[in-house]
Amino acid sequence: MSHKWFAITKAEYFVLTSSLRPHRKIWMSILLIFGLIWAAYLAPLFIGVVVDFIMPLSEFRGLLLVMFPGLMRAVMFLLFMLLFLMPLSYALQEIKIGQWEILFSNNVRTRDILIGTFLGKIPIYGLIILFLAPPLISVFFLAFEVSLLGQALIYGTLLLMVVTTMWLSNFVTAMIQSKLGDSPRGDDLAKGLAMLLAVAITCPMYGLMFFAPQLSSILGMNVFLLFPFTWSADVITWLAVTFNGLGLAGIQIAAFQDILQLNLATSGLLMVAFSIACLGIGLAGADRVFTLRMGARTETITTIRSENLLLRGMRRVAPGAFGSLVVTAFKDFFRKVQNLSRIAYGVILAVIFPFLISTITFIDASGVDLAILVLMSGIGMTLIGGMTFAGTGFLESKNQLWIIQSAPRGGSRYIKARLALAFLVLLPLTLLPVLVTTVLNGLNFILFSGFFIFSYAIACGSAMFATGLTALNPNYDDTRSPEHMMNLMMSIMVPEFLMMSPMLLIVIGAIIDVPLNRILVNIFGVFGETSAWAITSAIPILVVSGLVVYLGTRSLGQPEY
Amino acid sequence: MPQNGVCIRTNHLNKTFGPIPAVRDLDLEVHEGSRFGLLGPNGAGKTTTVRILSGLLIQTSGTATVCGFDINTHRDKIKAVTGLLPETPGLYSKLSAVEFLEFIGALNGYSKDASHRRIDQLLAILGLESRQDDLLESYSSGMKQKVLVASTLLHEPKLVFLDEPASRLDPSASALVKELILALAEETATTFFVCTHQTSLAEDICDVIGIIINGQLMTLGSPQEIIATAKAANLEKAYLKIVGGKVDRQALLAWRA
Repeated sequence: MSHKWFAITKAEYFVLTSSLRPHRKIWMSILLIFGLIWAAYLAPLFIGVVVDFIMPLSEFRGLLLVMFPGLMRAVMFLLFMLLFLMPLSYALQEIKIGQWEILFSNNVRTRDILIGTFLGKIPIYGLIILFLAPPLISVFFLAFEVSLLGQALIYGTLLLMVVTTMWLSNFVTAMIQSKLGDSPRGDDLAKGLAMLLAVAITCPMYGLMFFAPQLSSILGMNVFLLFPFTWSADVITWLAVTFNGLGLAGIQIAAFQDILQLNLATSGLLMVAFSIACLGIGLAGADRVFTLRMGARTETITTIRSENLLLRGMRRVAPGAFGSLVVTAFKDFFRKVQNLSRIAYGVILAVIFPFLISTITFIDASGVDLAILVLMSGIGMTLIGGMTFAGTGFLESKNQLWIIQSAPRGGSRYIKARLALAFLVLLPLTLLPVLVTTVLNGLNFILFSGFFIFSYAIACGSAMFATGLTALNPNYDDTRSPEHMMNLMMSIMVPEFLMMSPMLLIVIGAIIDVPLNRILVNIFGVFGETSAWAITSAIPILVVSGLVVYLGTRSLGQPEY
Repeated sequence: MPQNGVCIRTNHLNKTFGPIPAVRDLDLEVHEGSRFGLLGPNGAGKTTTVRILSGLLIQTSGTATVCGFDINTHRDKIKAVTGLLPETPGLYSKLSAVEFLEFIGALNGYSKDASHRRIDQLLAILGLESRQDDLLESYSSGMKQKVLVASTLLHEPKLVFLDEPASRLDPSASALVKELILALAEETATTFFVCTHQTSLAEDICDVIGIIINGQLMTLGSPQEIIATAKAANLEKAYLKIVGGKVDRQALLAWRA
């Protein structure tokens, strides 16, 4: 009997490397060879040069040795999150139950699907680790002067941790996919879940950026000895200590024992046991856990009730065709789980940001730095406006575009309705962080009002940019397309850049001796210097976004060539 | 407005996608109130022709007028007097049938009150009233097709483009749509331009048929004329003779060796 899992492995590998398709073998070979050279030779060399350039290694070797256990736990925690959640989030964006049906109809066991899809992912994720791990670890290899055998064992440990996490992620992904099924409803739920997983990845990263010392100390607590990523991290630390070339004395090794608490054998055994358990559960549970259900389409029929107070109010304010379009846009937007996830994402950002701003803006006891408050809040609002309305949720398919375009000025009417939706949704999303910031910083009513107007203008400008850009470059609901990635990245980065562009101009002006700051304050500073900052930050976004909306509307209304 | 009873007139219409010609030198006249069928195999250029005539696609060369309006300069006026049923459904999965049709009405400038009377009647005719408040994601493909038919007729267009209107419908729904087309054409002088590869549908509802192959119009006439010219028993056999659909049974099983 042929190995069915191998056919699935090949198919998965071909899908993941489809961008290299014309010369797949050559490219993958080049990447592998370069990766090995990079890991064994180039990365340590490069890191060594950089370290020597900053400071001779001998001067901070002690610090590196002390940092190593905590930092390794933090890095392994992030790696675990990344490897576990990223493939899960990625897979949920496109449920592939249709492929499962084909496989099952060809008498393939679930176990073969699980093994096949897992092995197919290994080359690509392996390469990613091969390129990313050495720069992180090399500095400690240098600090500990780890022998070649020690280095090989450390990379082996890392590989085992990576493979185990990927297997676990693959198992959970397949389980969720089989439960959600291939239906518009299940697909929508999956996309919503994928978006929330992105929050789960992003939040710890932000946390690590801002609270690295605190996080390191938290990860040093006993409770984290229960987590598999800690065992892998500790094994790596022990291997670096055991195979060190520094000749660490017994008392120094005892210090590591105090920090790590579990010895090399215990951590190693726990790690291996976890890997074997994951493998066993996956193989044994595969055929029991996965029951292919056709999902929500046949199980749930959602019937619409009468319109709520808000929608009825909108119809009263705008009783004509435009009101109907806005109401329809509202219904469509709020019934999609992925959009609700985006709103949840926006609310989380909206609540987190004021706290972050407050920790930064209280420069001294004399009070709050309003200029920094404006800048930070602006950055937050570009994220909220851009993230919520970029990419998906605009047009589901090309066929939908044909329908809209077949109405006279259909594209223009559609975009106006979508913008009205964005402006209304952003009202509470702006009010929330502004209120929190006002309370945290003790702002008065006038400052609150000005701050709200500024934040709302930035959020609306970003949403306009995102909407216009998506109309110019529709990605429909394909969240894995390059168009989607471009729309999302540009919708966040461009408004942020535009908001900060006056500041850049002022810096350039100062270099060439043109007092732009004074000129801007003279023009816009009716209510003081901070108001001048706020107005000059908002103008570029509103102007450019208006232009992008105009171009997007034109593009959407144009017949194709 | 239609001129001299001609609803659609094309003159040397061409469309190429890169090196591939989709429509070649199409000269066509469709009369007001007629039911014109554009028959052809998959990839023959039927959908491309409809998209050009409905103002969604720009032709490579040639000219055309639709309801008296030039396709180069009066696209919005053409859209206002035509309806298009696309080949594949582009419905909003999270709207109900009523909400989707209200959306289409609003895109065409109708308020909720103005469009709801028509929506109720169309959904009743198409037998969807019992499911009209369910989200479209739970509809079968045939039901979705019926909603699309309703959306095409909602603003009472003078000319209706139907791209494979019955491809996803069961026989009874298909018969219903055929009757709807015939009734609208006879009672309201609505012109129908139907793209299909279903010869039975074309034979039943169309008074004039054009057969297009590789972007080129090969035959034009009434179903009876085409059958007689091809010396065939019915339109399907005539179509196969013109398109070249002879099947070699030996070749069909050769792959098993």
